[in-house]
Amino acid sequence: MEFTREIYWNVGHGAWTLIPMYLLAIGAFYILVKAFIGRVAVYKQGLPLQRTDRPGERAGRMLGNILLQKKVTRVQWPGLLHGFFFWGFGLLFLGTVLIVIQADFTDLLFGIKFLKGTFYKLFSIILDAAGLICLVMLGGLMARRYFFPPKGLESKKDDAIMHGLLFAILLTGFVIEGARMAVTELGTPLAVWSPVGLLFAKTMSGLGDQTLLGLHKVSWWLHLLLVMAFFILIPYTKFRHIFTTSANYFFEDLGPRGKLVNLDLEDEEAETFGATGVKEMSWKDIFDADACTLCMRCQDRCPAYNTDKPLSPMTLVNQIGEAAFTNPDANLIDIISKDVIWSCTTCRACEEICPASIEHVSKIVELRRSMVLMEGEFPGEEVMTAMEATEVNGNPLGMGYAGRGEWAEELGIKTLAEDSDVDLLYFVGCYGSFDKRNIAVAKSFVKLCQAAGVKLGILGKEEKCCGEPMRKMGNEYLYQSLAVENIELIKSYGVSRIVTSCPHCFNTLEKDYRDLGMNAELVTYTVFLEELIKTGRLKINAENLSCTYHDSCYLGRHNGIYEAPRALIAAAGGNLIEMEKNRQEGFCCSAGGGRIMAEEKIGERMNIKRVKMAVETGADMLLSNCPFCLTMFEDGVRGADVEKQLKPRDIAEVLAERI
Amino acid sequence: MKIVLVAEYRDGKLLGSYGELIDFADKMGGESVMFLVGNDTDLPKYDGVVYLADAENFGEYNPDAHKKLIVDLVGKEQADMVVFCHSSYGWDLAPRVAFALKAAQVSEIVEIADGLPVTPVCNAKLRRTVKVKTPQSVVTLQSGAFGLTEEPAGSPVIEKIEGNGEGRIEFTGYEEAESGGVDLSKAQIIVSAGRGVGKPENVEMIANLAKALGGEYGASRPVVDSEWVEHNRQVGTTGQTVSPKLYVACGISGAIQHLAGMKKSEFIVAVNTDRDAPIAEAADVFVVADLKEFVPLLTEKIQSL
Amino acid sequence: MKILVCIKQVPDMESKFKVDTAGTWYEKTDLAWRMNEYDEYAVEQAIQLKEQVKDADLTVLSVGGNQVKETMKKALAMGCDRGAHIEDDSSSDKEPFEIAGIIGEYAKDKSFDLIFTGMQSQDRGSAQVGILVAEQLDMSAVSTVVDFSYSDGTVNVKRELEGGVKACITAKTPLVVTCQLGLNTPRYPTLPNIMKAKKKELLSLPVEDLLKVEPRQETVKVYFPEKKGGGLVLEGDAAELADKLIQVLKEKTAVLA
Repeated sequence: MEFTREIYWNVGHGAWTLIPMYLLAIGAFYILVKAFIGRVAVYKQGLPLQRTDRPGERAGRMLGNILLQKKVTRVQWPGLLHGFFFWGFGLLFLGTVLIVIQADFTDLLFGIKFLKGTFYKLFSIILDAAGLICLVMLGGLMARRYFFPPKGLESKKDDAIMHGLLFAILLTGFVIEGARMAVTELGTPLAVWSPVGLLFAKTMSGLGDQTLLGLHKVSWWLHLLLVMAFFILIPYTKFRHIFTTSANYFFEDLGPRGKLVNLDLEDEEAETFGATGVKEMSWKDIFDADACTLCMRCQDRCPAYNTDKPLSPMTLVNQIGEAAFTNPDANLIDIISKDVIWSCTTCRACEEICPASIEHVSKIVELRRSMVLMEGEFPGEEVMTAMEATEVNGNPLGMGYAGRGEWAEELGIKTLAEDSDVDLLYFVGCYGSFDKRNIAVAKSFVKLCQAAGVKLGILGKEEKCCGEPMRKMGNEYLYQSLAVENIELIKSYGVSRIVTSCPHCFNTLEKDYRDLGMNAELVTYTVFLEELIKTGRLKINAENLSCTYHDSCYLGRHNGIYEAPRALIAAAGGNLIEMEKNRQEGFCCSAGGGRIMAEEKIGERMNIKRVKMAVETGADMLLSNCPFCLTMFEDGVRGADVEKQLKPRDIAEVLAERI
Repeated sequence: MKIVLVAEYRDGKLLGSYGELIDFADKMGGESVMFLVGNDTDLPKYDGVVYLADAENFGEYNPDAHKKLIVDLVGKEQADMVVFCHSSYGWDLAPRVAFALKAAQVSEIVEIADGLPVTPVCNAKLRRTVKVKTPQSVVTLQSGAFGLTEEPAGSPVIEKIEGNGEGRIEFTGYEEAESGGVDLSKAQIIVSAGRGVGKPENVEMIANLAKALGGEYGASRPVVDSEWVEHNRQVGTTGQTVSPKLYVACGISGAIQHLAGMKKSEFIVAVNTDRDAPIAEAADVFVVADLKEFVPLLTEKIQSL
Repeated sequence: MKILVCIKQVPDMESKFKVDTAGTWYEKTDLAWRMNEYDEYAVEQAIQLKEQVKDADLTVLSVGGNQVKETMKKALAMGCDRGAHIEDDSSSDKEPFEIAGIIGEYAKDKSFDLIFTGMQSQDRGSAQVGILVAEQLDMSAVSTVVDFSYSDGTVNVKRELEGGVKACITAKTPLVVTCQLGLNTPRYPTLPNIMKAKKKELLSLPVEDLLKVEPRQETVKVYFPEKKGGGLVLEGDAAELADKLIQVLKEKTAVLA
């Protein structure tokens, strides 16, 4: 016998089937396209932003993310359920397309049938399995959502419609197959190639042929209607993520990771800076809301959300979307609220995990820019004081600028003004220059370099704050004035390579300063020291050390440097016990996003929460690589009352003790 | 040398600061008379002539009228110098008098060195010796820089100044200090509690010491965060920036945020068990002691002074 | 309404001071400069008044070398309408009477309704200039103001007295007001206003044209006070320590007097 089946069996292949079917399909497709065109008009309310350059690279990323479900499966169980469902549903869709191609085109026009023989057997079993997988995965997802919902998961009408519709489509599919097989395939060798269909067929076989034929016909039309409903519903429900999230992979920020858009402060025409409404944001900021699937992954990881602050990155993104669709002239700052906007530490935990490539941080900074540049508003007077201190003395601590290089005098480190013939410029940063605790770190780093025979120079009193905390707080003007001065200074000394011990300085000089003409090479001290150890220039006498390690957001998520610091800890003889939240999942110390200048007034203290996580490891020492983190942890161990159990230290300090 | 000392009177009471004027006159070695817009029921203990204008007629604050009285008195007494306290009354009136007399004014004298007045510069980081070029001079004295070691004694000879004072500005009354809300930024003496106090109950001993010294108590951030002390008492960059005459830091290690908020204090005492605590850098006196033992003892001794 | 606000550029008090070679002032290198804190309140109050009465012209004035224009730009960015820079490279040698004389000379034919300034400067701290300007212009003056309101030619202010008590004062314009810390919250200039400020009038006038008075005093020398205590460390029995500390406080401070 020929292994195949009759397409349009029982429903017929005549005009009475085809005309209504194609009319429905065309109608559904029309509604879908029209609705999306309407949405595109809403996106276009936003400002232009170039996100179609390097199309090849973008397409590659997009396909990788769609087909391999790379970002989705980063959260394992729900991710795998979604991933398998995606593949199952994708195969069912492809199978249906093949059927349409054969029945309505190749066979109809040329008499060519390819769904036969071994190919049909494979086709049959693969689709059967895909349907089963879809049902199981959907069942799992429904169980997760409705019976064991994770904390904070909200289920709306959208979710009920989507789950119900998908379930009905799959079920009617199997009923059609079962009814057809009960009448035509039971007892044939072909039946085993559709095991699930066979199960349905056997279950229904007692109904009698007449009933089965009726059931088949009704199910077939019902299935068709459901699928058409599915198409129509795509733009109106979260189903739209099939297109929008996929497209968002294409529109991804190609980097440098997390770099903010440089405001043109010389623009004489500009009347507003930053954003108060959707029309002052980019189209991508509106589109992001459409790409969001409300999966909560950002919120689950947001350190502000998890310490009872009002910020949820997910809510914020969707508030922007809602405003764009319902009230585009609304004031976003009022809608979102100031406390929410000021709560962000720009730690990037949200963006790192987002399966839809949404960019949360830049939206928040745009809103902050408007508050600071247009209204002169800050989260607190202490922040304004720090801004003014930076304007006057070039550091947010308000220390006299002339003393910036004093810490280095006893180590024989000269300023470039005194001696510019150096291997590297050490850009020390404000905390390393002025804060006693962090001066100890800067000194340790210098000693390590000296032991390796590296000649460092500093800028001393000529160095100014890199401007990172100010920029993240929205003060683009102050940031750019600081940046321009630093860049001109660095250029004037002909510096070619710069090392930093502050990840905030590193990130700013390495990425943000490029827009303003910085061209020297940047290296962060952890990577630099690892090089020195690898090449044998620096010898470290390993000595046992019980420690845990905190990935600073700006070395970790912002720059992907996770292993160099760990290699240094290993070289020091560290027995590293990881905290549960490490690497990409690291939990912010609270000081990012300019919040080092602000008081944490709302909710639980983030640094204390992080210190408690470190205490849980049982390690004696909490190692980090960032002056802000260290400052917060020194404060945190006192706040958590664990000064005796846990000592916060910088990696450079333990290394310097082991030269 | 003939000196006119301008005493102060507020809300129906003579202010005790007139003793500082007397001490200054003694140190200058001149002959002095005192001027007061006040009331004959509350008179300075002063062996000399007190020119008394009735506050009922001339107002407690009426710079136009008071200026005229002083200028007339200087003429009458052929005085060489007019001395005020460097206070809200003194620094307001002194320049007006100086202008009318075509005299130089030296503000906020902290001492007389080699016969010349010395004043503070740049938050008292520097000192400045001044030479007056006019025959007459007007000076104001830094609060507390001069003062009699004993209670002033003596009985004045009262010369009443009759008449009424006209002035362009109208004083309509006093507004008392708000109770409850404290403004540490203006406090002259602050005793602050750090984490070294150990537990909330111990904050009271810090408050007691502050009270004994006649000042306010404050706290470092961790103590405020623990809600042992209300937020308006927090000293540091995220709380109040303070510049009192005396700052006593008890059990405060001296995080940079705290140091930045209090290092403008004129005199800093640190009480801490850890000699290496960063607060040592800012402290004029570092007492190595457990505050729980030391603070109550100190309070007791100050109370019995 | 015509308003004048007088500001001074002073070193940031966090700076490390050195005595200059003449020994009569501080060395001006390695210092960070800013607007005298008291004057910031004056500028803010002047701007608030301008915003209240709408029809007002607000001039900011400063005496000093070219570098004071930087500080004046901040006042313009905060909201002053125009700047009058009295160019004087040796303003730090001038005593308050001379500075007041210069300002008075500038203001004498301009009929300002209100003149704001700080109650004192952070560096010299003489607390004289504002009132001397008023005397010279024969205007009335109120010093140490911590609360200000204006209505129809009448000004109601509160003066800060010792111990947190305030004196309530009513006065008519023209009036000089010297501002105490805490009078208001000086605003942070917005970026559009910073841009606008760049185009505002900022005229420099030579000091020679305005200085008509002779100095009445001079600085003999400026020096560092002897370090009191100088990081004195007290150790030992707690009771003895308390006595020692009381002794030190009596000697070095006025608080136990």
